Amino acid sequence: MSSEDFRSLLPLLILAAASILLLVVIAVRRDHRLVYYLTVAALAAALAASLIPVEYSPRTASPLLVIDGFSLFYSALLNAAGLIVVVLSYTYLRPLREQMEEYYVLILLAVLGSVILAASRHFASFFLGLELLSVSLYTLVGYMVRSRDRSMEAGLKYLILAAAAAAFLLFGMALVFYEAGQLGFSGIGKYLAEAEALSLLIITGFGLIIIGIGFKLALAPFHMWAADVYEGAPAPVSALVATVSKGGVVAVLLRFYSEVDGYQFPVLALLFSIFAAASMLGGNLLALLQDNVKRILGYSSIAHLGYLIVAFLSGGAMAAGAATFYLVAYFITILVAFGVVAHLSSGEQEAEKLEDYRSLFWRRPGTAVVFTAALLSLAGIPLTAGFIGKFYIAAAGAQEGLWVLLFILAASSVIGLYYYLRIIMAMFASAKDPAQRIAPLFSGVGLLLVILTVALVWLGVFPQAMLDMINEWVAG
Amino acid sequence: MEEDMIQNEIYWPLVAYAGIVLLVIGAIVVLSYLLGERHDDKATGEVFESGILPTGSARLQFSSHFYLIAMFFVIFDLETAFIVAWAIGYEEAGWPGFIGALIFVGILLVVLVYEWSTGALDYGPQGQKIIKALQKRRKQQKI
Repeated sequence: MSSEDFRSLLPLLILAAASILLLVVIAVRRDHRLVYYLTVAALAAALAASLIPVEYSPRTASPLLVIDGFSLFYSALLNAAGLIVVVLSYTYLRPLREQMEEYYVLILLAVLGSVILAASRHFASFFLGLELLSVSLYTLVGYMVRSRDRSMEAGLKYLILAAAAAAFLLFGMALVFYEAGQLGFSGIGKYLAEAEALSLLIITGFGLIIIGIGFKLALAPFHMWAADVYEGAPAPVSALVATVSKGGVVAVLLRFYSEVDGYQFPVLALLFSIFAAASMLGGNLLALLQDNVKRILGYSSIAHLGYLIVAFLSGGAMAAGAATFYLVAYFITILVAFGVVAHLSSGEQEAEKLEDYRSLFWRRPGTAVVFTAALLSLAGIPLTAGFIGKFYIAAAGAQEGLWVLLFILAASSVIGLYYYLRIIMAMFASAKDPAQRIAPLFSGVGLLLVILTVALVWLGVFPQAMLDMINEWVAG
Repeated sequence: MEEDMIQNEIYWPLVAYAGIVLLVIGAIVVLSYLLGERHDDKATGEVFESGILPTGSARLQFSSHFYLIAMFFVIFDLETAFIVAWAIGYEEAGWPGFIGALIFVGILLVVLVYEWSTGALDYGPQGQKIIKALQKRRKQQKI
């Protein structure tokens, strides 16, 4: 390996080295604050290392990984999301009587797994990255075992279902390997280009791989875990599951699909169309009757991944760009939403009931306004990032004539509006006891949420800079 | 294309296997629905033990130490297998392989230090801890 290889792999190396270093630090001295600062430094360094344009030309560091604009962009995005989750976690975890230090190691490992996914071009790195991500998440979801009742349930559910999904994925990979004799994405693509007809084994293999991916993205027939896990996990971990875990898988899906040219197979397109339609309708309909804000956000994330699949399915020149832009908008929005939930939670009680948000505006106006912006962006109201994201999905879909899916997208967005507005209505309901108003607490997390909200609106009003960046890094 | 797929006769075991999987799972779900208990009386959920009323719960807490040791065994055993695989190809792997193995062993070392310092390797009953816990319980009972 040359020094350029090392430099291009720097984000991965920093994350891996930092998690080892943290273990040593924990072994020597348990100090929540020190571990927190080291984690923030590591994620910021990895973020900087992915933003500094090392080599724009794709650099295949090994048969397993490729570092190009696409993977660097996703690496930056995932590291930034991880950084925000860590900052949210610190104030959230402080009042709890748990051993906090390992939590940060696990977050670093989850982000590392996700970045590996974004850079992988081989089934081996695909699976390794996915498992690194999943195993960290099993523990993180069930991290609050001592202080929360449902933590164990959520962790166990996630463990069993994710392990089953990993088995599907592995079996699919085995079938594809049996038929194609290749594990690298490009090798499989070459085999498929030469093959005259798709054999049943390849179709079955792809189907099983898609099931594994669909589980990770919580697409509709495989969404059963989402609401329970989002509800049971600590709020910052729910944000991690919603962003880092899904972002990495979307990246690997985009790369795999473009390398094997999956768009040429109508069977797979039909499969994804069904998943997308079911996710959009199912996610939005299931969220209607929920009274738990974390469950609502869980179901809404199912619907949002359905929208994303529509962009992905359009397959035209805009597909990767539209999907990536939507992912960026979704990342910011969901981080704000879960950030508010984490911000309002006290040590003992998670602020998750709709009742906890009633007349929030009169108690904490700033937090309520930030949450309202996030919910409006999730609903796709103009002037927010969510609207522009949805607009580009619609444009990409219309270009390819996916009219049925676009109709479902529009209809289910309208359904979705109902439950987002329900939370907003609750927040602005007049307070019974106006004296309850709490002076706005200016904290680091508050500042972070405000910055993210500004980014949310800025992306909604001036999306061009981000679009140019995505076009240059991802699509180019 | 569909005809091609059906004509792939050598795949019939796969199709048959998929069919059997669906059949078995369908049978499990349907049969447990048909044969399952429907009435819900006062004593339906109670344990039946030769007519004697059960006392206490069956949900006991076991020490997780044994699982932990089993896990350590699996982890370190597997890592030995990796090192042996490298040792066999020592000549071929050369310096890059050596550096890789060095990093791998280094990570193992760090993990061992971590496990040691967090007390994960202290297993078996520890007299002092038990006596402390007993004393604490006695005090609580007196209060």
